[in-house]
Amino acid sequence: MSMQALNQLVARSIVDPTIVKAFSAGQVDEVISGLEFAPELRLRIGELEAGSWTEFAMLAYRVVKAAEEPVRRIELPSPAEGLGDDQERTGKEQVA
Amino acid sequence: MIPFSREEREWFLRNLARGLVEYYRTSEPPVAVEEMLNQPPPVYDADFGVVDMYSSLWDATFARPPTHRGSIFVRIDLAPEDRRYALAREMLSALITSKHGRAMGLSDLLLPHLRDSAEYFARYLLVPDDLLQAYRNQGGMNHGFAEHFQIPAGVGAVRWADD
Repeated sequence: MSMQALNQLVARSIVDPTIVKAFSAGQVDEVISGLEFAPELRLRIGELEAGSWTEFAMLAYRVVKAAEEPVRRIELPSPAEGLGDDQERTGKEQVA
Repeated sequence: MIPFSREEREWFLRNLARGLVEYYRTSEPPVAVEEMLNQPPPVYDADFGVVDMYSSLWDATFARPPTHRGSIFVRIDLAPEDRRYALAREMLSALITSKHGRAMGLSDLLLPHLRDSAEYFARYLLVPDDLLQAYRNQGGMNHGFAEHFQIPAGVGAVRWADD
């Protein structure tokens, strides 16, 4: 949803001068108000420092993309399962 | 400007194209690219134009004389689909050099890769994602795709493979 909101904002900025004017006036919060960003994401986007609207949009893309990437979990087998498999495999390899 | 990847630049270009398509409420192909240039959004009122020319040098090129309205000079004898693509491609230069485009800071991102950016932008302007998805949902295939969107066959092949 956040990426959709950012896409919509960037798309609108090419025809709507009020977005760029608000950004240039330092009113980033106003620019992103009303868009469906999670509070933490909204805060991070609002704190971005960029020299132009285009640069801001690209930095925001990085932030949103990173936030939307699935969290990688380290999945370890339970000690009992892992040991059992290893023993079984080891046994088969020895038989082979 | 901070360096950006090609993937990031293409994301930005897709949204620029999408903004124009949505502004004109385009719901089916062909995208009216010439209408966009002749009747641009108000923020570009003094920045766009199309001029037919007799020349064998280029298909189309954008020029903006100092203190004058910018125009795309397009060869008069192009096939309709070639003309549409050439106009869409050159539209990016019109956007970049417009007053609004300069205020956005488009040039820093797009000028270093202008040709590549303009061709990518044109493909997404003439074949927006939503219309491509609708075409595929209706059983549209690669064969007939370029004709459906009224774009050159070679451009259609690249756009079909973009996704």
